[in-house]
Amino acid sequence: MMGFLRSIFAHPSGRIGGAIVAAYLLIAILGALGLTPYDPLMQFRIDRLHAPTVAYWMGTDLFGRDVASRLMKGIGQSFTVAFFSVAIATAAGTVLGLTTAWFGKRWDAILMRLMDVLLAFPAILLALLIVTVVGPGTWTSVAAIGIVYTPIFTRVVRGPALSLKSREFVDAARTFGSSRFYILTRHLLLNLVAPLTVQVTLALAWALLTEAGLSFLGLGTQPPAASLGLMLSDSRNLMESAPWLMIFPGITIMLSILGFNLLGDALRDILDPKTRRA
Amino acid sequence: MIKERTKTHFSAIAMAAMLGVSALAAPANAETLRMAWAQDATGLDPHKQAAFSSIRLLELIYEPLVRLNANLQIIPGIATSWAFSPDGKELTFKLDPKAKFQNGAAVTSADVKASFERILDEKTGAVNRANYSSVASIEAPDAGTVIFKLSQPDVPILTAMTDTNSSILPASEIAAGTIGTTAIGSGPFKLDKWDPNSKEVLSANKDWAGGPTGVDGIEISVLPDESAILAAMRAGQVDFALLNDPLIATLVPREATLQLNRAPALAYHVLQLNPSRKPMTELAVRQAISCAVDRQAVLDTAALGEGKVTGPLTMPFFASDPNGLFCYKRDVEKAKKLMADAGVADGFTATVIAATGEPPTAAAEAQVLQAQLAEIGIKLDIKMMELNVYVDTWLKGDFDMAVALNGGRPDPYTMYNRYWTKTGNLQKVSNFADDEIDSLMQQGRAETDAEKRKAIFNAFETRLAEQSPWVWLYTSYGYTAQQKSVQGFVPMPTGSMFSLAKVTVQR
Amino acid sequence: MNYLTRRLAAFPLVLLGVSVIVFFAIRLVPGDSITAMLGTEAGLLTPQQRDALAVYFGIDQPWPVQYWRWLLNLFHGDLGISATYGKPVLEVILQRFPLTLELALLSMLIALSVGVPAGVFAATRNERPSDLAVRVAAMIGQSTPSFVFGLLIIYVLSAGFGVLPTMGAFTPLWEDPIRNLGQLILPALTLGFAFAASVTRVSRSAMLDVLSDDYVRTARSKGASARSVVWRHALPNALIPVVTLSGIEFGYLLGGAVIVEQIYALPGLGRMVLEAILQRDYALVQGAVLFIALNFMIVNLLVDLAYVALDPRIRLENQ
Repeated sequence: MMGFLRSIFAHPSGRIGGAIVAAYLLIAILGALGLTPYDPLMQFRIDRLHAPTVAYWMGTDLFGRDVASRLMKGIGQSFTVAFFSVAIATAAGTVLGLTTAWFGKRWDAILMRLMDVLLAFPAILLALLIVTVVGPGTWTSVAAIGIVYTPIFTRVVRGPALSLKSREFVDAARTFGSSRFYILTRHLLLNLVAPLTVQVTLALAWALLTEAGLSFLGLGTQPPAASLGLMLSDSRNLMESAPWLMIFPGITIMLSILGFNLLGDALRDILDPKTRRA
Repeated sequence: MIKERTKTHFSAIAMAAMLGVSALAAPANAETLRMAWAQDATGLDPHKQAAFSSIRLLELIYEPLVRLNANLQIIPGIATSWAFSPDGKELTFKLDPKAKFQNGAAVTSADVKASFERILDEKTGAVNRANYSSVASIEAPDAGTVIFKLSQPDVPILTAMTDTNSSILPASEIAAGTIGTTAIGSGPFKLDKWDPNSKEVLSANKDWAGGPTGVDGIEISVLPDESAILAAMRAGQVDFALLNDPLIATLVPREATLQLNRAPALAYHVLQLNPSRKPMTELAVRQAISCAVDRQAVLDTAALGEGKVTGPLTMPFFASDPNGLFCYKRDVEKAKKLMADAGVADGFTATVIAATGEPPTAAAEAQVLQAQLAEIGIKLDIKMMELNVYVDTWLKGDFDMAVALNGGRPDPYTMYNRYWTKTGNLQKVSNFADDEIDSLMQQGRAETDAEKRKAIFNAFETRLAEQSPWVWLYTSYGYTAQQKSVQGFVPMPTGSMFSLAKVTVQR
Repeated sequence: MNYLTRRLAAFPLVLLGVSVIVFFAIRLVPGDSITAMLGTEAGLLTPQQRDALAVYFGIDQPWPVQYWRWLLNLFHGDLGISATYGKPVLEVILQRFPLTLELALLSMLIALSVGVPAGVFAATRNERPSDLAVRVAAMIGQSTPSFVFGLLIIYVLSAGFGVLPTMGAFTPLWEDPIRNLGQLILPALTLGFAFAASVTRVSRSAMLDVLSDDYVRTARSKGASARSVVWRHALPNALIPVVTLSGIEFGYLLGGAVIVEQIYALPGLGRMVLEAILQRDYALVQGAVLFIALNFMIVNLLVDLAYVALDPRIRLENQ
């Protein structure tokens, strides 16, 4: 584990990406613990739409709420949605991918057709449909984004699992009488860690963008809670009178996605033997 | 300096050329009004379409018997004169002999009879039918005269007839079943082309009885993002636009070439309580909520102060000074005492529903109310809903509280009988009935003397504010923005844009 | 051929799945065509009026019956009538499709013509400052939500220069090509920005891989010029992942770009579906989603076939 962290640190994009993600996590934790400059929900009526000052580093919004405090809280909210949705997609995708590869035949045919059905929907439209049916909210967004990305993870897992299945060490394990479950988890999963890790970091970046897109259409996080996407979309019609409302969340969301992308690149270089160059 | 300016100018031209922009190349036909709005009409049947955006289009094509002017007085439409019989049970109209449909046929009493019979027919699903429950029969003694026989005196019926939803359609089209697919009215403009959610092309109706129109035609573009509408107006692409969001509308006066028109609207922003849900079943709790709300603060924050605090009645003739109504001055101490009286001193939790973007201020209003009610221990959970989901939930009365923008009518009875009479169609939504309020409504319906009616509805308003089934907040403005080269537009409290018929463009 | 027929045979099954999900999902959303048309005024209708309108919108029967009817009509090539447009669904879709197709093609053109050279350039300058600059630019491109970029462009152009491409009413390419391109160039740039960023990243990393391969080394040792090695020997192989990526991205763009269409007021497929959902135009939603899914599957199939054509080492049967 330490060696792994060290190799991330040794990689230039890994260093920067890792630092950004770590910083965001720290801010999100501070936000969750309530260690923000102000209460992110407190409306300071006389200071509505205040430009950034010493008192409010990033200005205040339409309600006189401190933008910096809301951003700290919003990072936590956006990351929660991103993490949980990707976790769902990873878990579901892994289980589905492994079982389709292992059992093959009819199970594979049925499930992969089902995945094709989900893939054939444009991502934002599928998320939109799910959210309109269930009604918007944090956990609906999580479920919607999770379902949208499940087919992708299923494919990521199924491919390598198929080729690993036919390789010798699995056969060997089989002749030694290991249980199916043991083979599945121990050998296959271990060999899937690399492609999965890379996919997860990249998916986190997508999930952040999708959450922003859903909020832009009014179907994401519900007020008065803050999320990066909601803050950004709320700033739309105030862009001219209060540009700071768009600039700070905009930069925050860009940096966070940048962080995940950089980290994903580094992980791919480190973990994927095909592209490893040393 | 000069060099610098030339350079900027040049780059603007280069940019324009690159983008194939119309800013510099004005269209050949200078008499067409280029218009934009964010929401398009949803259909062409004037009897069925209730959406604000649909009415704005249809009122340019179809005409009702009578209209309203900017002071909400009734003026001639297709009918040139009208009169109630002394017992109030007969309403006679004389039609304008010059009135013609766009297919060339004259508008006759047969068309009026067929149109109203279509509205009354339950199979049509006409939205205005509920306003004509007193109509017993319609007679057409000659081509220019129509008589409505009423089962009881009904003064507000005349106001209902000003509605675009009561437009007169050709009897031939009704018989042919083509209403909704083709638009043939008697109004100032003809619909040449409609590409839903994209554009409408209207041309002037040369035969319009109201005289020549000010422009040759209107081209309406649907630009779903209001900040894009403002950008298009700045670039000189759009002459006239309908705006909803005060955040965008307030930016218009900053532009030298643009002008903002504001008309105080009849529609009201309101926090609807559900008096059938505990603890709002208690009068004291409802009153406490009313006392805890700072209406001016809601208006200042959510709508940037663009509007006016209002009581239940929003039409200037009937409205009373809101400061005289129950608890219109915020009084948190009184609110807390009322909560304690009702046995909920510790407060309670309730869910408030609001529609996403409808009105644009809904989410903001909910958040300000949430902060205000938190001060007396009421914890509000905000649930934003897609408009249609909201409408469905609202119609079922399935909410603790609802933030709403409800339509206003020029007549208090037409506006409120659906909620506050015991037989109102929307009793399920208001969940509130009161003997005194009900009887005041019935008196107001039958009374023909204007001043007496006003007194009756004043009593109604006072009682309603005191019973606080809802917390009325404010009325906002209907906004239109225009280039200063556009002249003659008259903003209306109903939001009607009928005066586009006489608007001219100087290019 | 066997592969192709098998892939094609799966089409109807997948489309059936898509149609079932869409059909029932949009009916599960509260509200219907009647509340969409009348709003809160729908509360004033009598039960008889409501029934009459339900018949009018074709939503009076139980859902399975409605679905069965719709499916039967589908087999006769009839997707139904759109309630808002009052026209056959297929006609409405085909009217909107040219814009979506053109926008997708333009974005892809921008992405490829910027992304591939940038990626190749960065790969040949591996880890040098110019490589870093390209990578940072690409990262920013990939990390900017399209609505932020789009709104900024509109604001800067209209407030800074007082110009803007015509919005709203769309001019088809064949009617007035210049006006048409003027309308589409900014949306295409907005979409192409992020698209180009991913093309850059993929072509850079693919190029790096190929450059370290044996045959490129051989070519180099045989004395081929650096330029010829990069463009003649390495690029064709490096293009394989770029083709896959652009194919998939293109497939998504054919489904319409809701947010960009919304900002630039373009009447494309994405906005049409969104509006159809909001207005509960059931027939239109069903038809459009089916159409989009079919496009997506065709594009994906073509991408896979192109993959084989470009790389003879891959045999599809093993996939």
